[in-house]
Amino acid sequence: MLVRALHLKDYRNYHTADIEFGGGLTVIVGGNGQGKSNLIEAIGWLAGIGSFRGVADDALIRVGADSAVIRATIESGDGREQLIEAELPRIGRNRVQVNRQRVQRARDLLGVIRVTVFSPDDLSLVKGGPALRRRWIDDSLVGRHPRHDSLRSDLERILRQRNALLRSAGGKLDADAEFTLDVWDSQLAAVGDALRQARLDLLGEIRPHLTRAYDHVARRAADVRADYVSSWQGDLGAALIGSRRLDVRRGVSTVGPHRDEIELSIGGVPARTHGSQGEQRSTALAMRLAVDAVVRAAGWSPVLLLDDVFSELDPGRARALLEALPDAQSLLTVASDVPPGAAPDHVMRVDRGTISVES
Amino acid sequence: MSYSTSVQELIDQLGRLPGIGPKSAQRVAFHLLKIPTDDALKLAAAITEAKQRVSFCTRCFNLSEGGEECSICRDPRREARILCVVEDSQDIVAIERTKEFRGRYHVLQGAFSPIDGVGVDQLRIKELMSRVGEEDVEEVIVATNPNLEGEATASLLLKFLQPMGVRVSRIASGLPVGGDLEYADELTLGRALEGRKTLAEGEN
Repeated sequence: MLVRALHLKDYRNYHTADIEFGGGLTVIVGGNGQGKSNLIEAIGWLAGIGSFRGVADDALIRVGADSAVIRATIESGDGREQLIEAELPRIGRNRVQVNRQRVQRARDLLGVIRVTVFSPDDLSLVKGGPALRRRWIDDSLVGRHPRHDSLRSDLERILRQRNALLRSAGGKLDADAEFTLDVWDSQLAAVGDALRQARLDLLGEIRPHLTRAYDHVARRAADVRADYVSSWQGDLGAALIGSRRLDVRRGVSTVGPHRDEIELSIGGVPARTHGSQGEQRSTALAMRLAVDAVVRAAGWSPVLLLDDVFSELDPGRARALLEALPDAQSLLTVASDVPPGAAPDHVMRVDRGTISVES
Repeated sequence: MSYSTSVQELIDQLGRLPGIGPKSAQRVAFHLLKIPTDDALKLAAAITEAKQRVSFCTRCFNLSEGGEECSICRDPRREARILCVVEDSQDIVAIERTKEFRGRYHVLQGAFSPIDGVGVDQLRIKELMSRVGEEDVEEVIVATNPNLEGEATASLLLKFLQPMGVRVSRIASGLPVGGDLEYADELTLGRALEGRKTLAEGEN
């Protein structure tokens, strides 16, 4: 898959921008705040219906404008071109079109553009709390099978309903509370069991790639593992009944996929607490590379978006990452210079929202 | 800038309507102030008139105009043995348009949604149970929406109705008529397979 052209209107610091991209490696050079990351963030928005920097859509609209427009021409593996457009208004719903046809639900856009994003924030995948790793696996799941998006949104909604019900019970588990809890528990059990299974299956696919990618980036064999630690054993329906008393007292659901953890270890030692900064950074890169490899093995070819990742890497790791990148269209932003060891096919410079192509 | 008290009051009242946020409330309020007085008063009169004439049916909780019971409950030709349970009165209008259903209705006036403070006591479930007990109902068709809250409502009703020995059915969900299998999303297609219909029993 290739992103051929990108048009932006009132997106972040851009009034309008029209950029054409070629295949291979494009390095986008620009100082801080000039707008280089905004370019790849916009492409990422179309792929994931949201900013990979975790910013609300509202913040993506240029100050003083009523709506932002992102339009991309993409070429799929078979040479077919598609025009994808999103309009993000300050008031009202986003409008999304594929080939000038309105897409009813934004989630139908998932899977049309596929990207693999690397960002300096990825370090928090290793150092941060379990919620970030759950988000990583669930995002990857949606990237692999877009239909799993509904599992995730259903889980969120069911949990909100069940927690509201728990709180309304006022700390007591009486017959009435049990009666109504049955209803939401059966829904939570169905979605929860399915989501855990989907995560486990995906993690099984990721595992060999993860070990290989780490060894490559860190340039040594270290047996990196990602293990799924579930908050329940066996059938979720039974586990929910067992935890009811505690749940009612606390007013939250204490078992379910929203409480599961993915434990990362390097040579048998927890990466989160015992890994060095360098090991943690390599692990985070390996997690991104591994998911990318899984998606590629399934027959897709994501565009690689590398947002300012080289500033944080020592020259050895930077070179190893460049070597580990699959052969695909790659857009790489850097603050100062083309990283050593990189052989870019194209170089662009971004200066206060204007873009010039150097080669 | 703040608005004069009466304008602000109008905006606040409009903002309490479903689907109308603060911005839309402001827009509607200014529109109402701009149009001829007669037109605005017609709207006010329509609201007053409807509120005075329309009430909820004492039997099924559908909207009822000019009587304690709604026109469907009063109609002797409607089958009393089959009861179709819906979330809102609008759903009755939709089902009536099909002209496929000749039974009576029961409106729950909502769906089971603890986030919105709607539980067993807020829904017309007790009334449904007394009707099932008193009216010789043979089948209850649960026609709540095929979303999370609608499904939760359906399983809640099942828990109440099953012990009463009445037949309970759920409307099918699946493919739209005139649709294409190829374009159906997995969830819908999965449901359609689950709720498939036997065409021939076979001999095994």
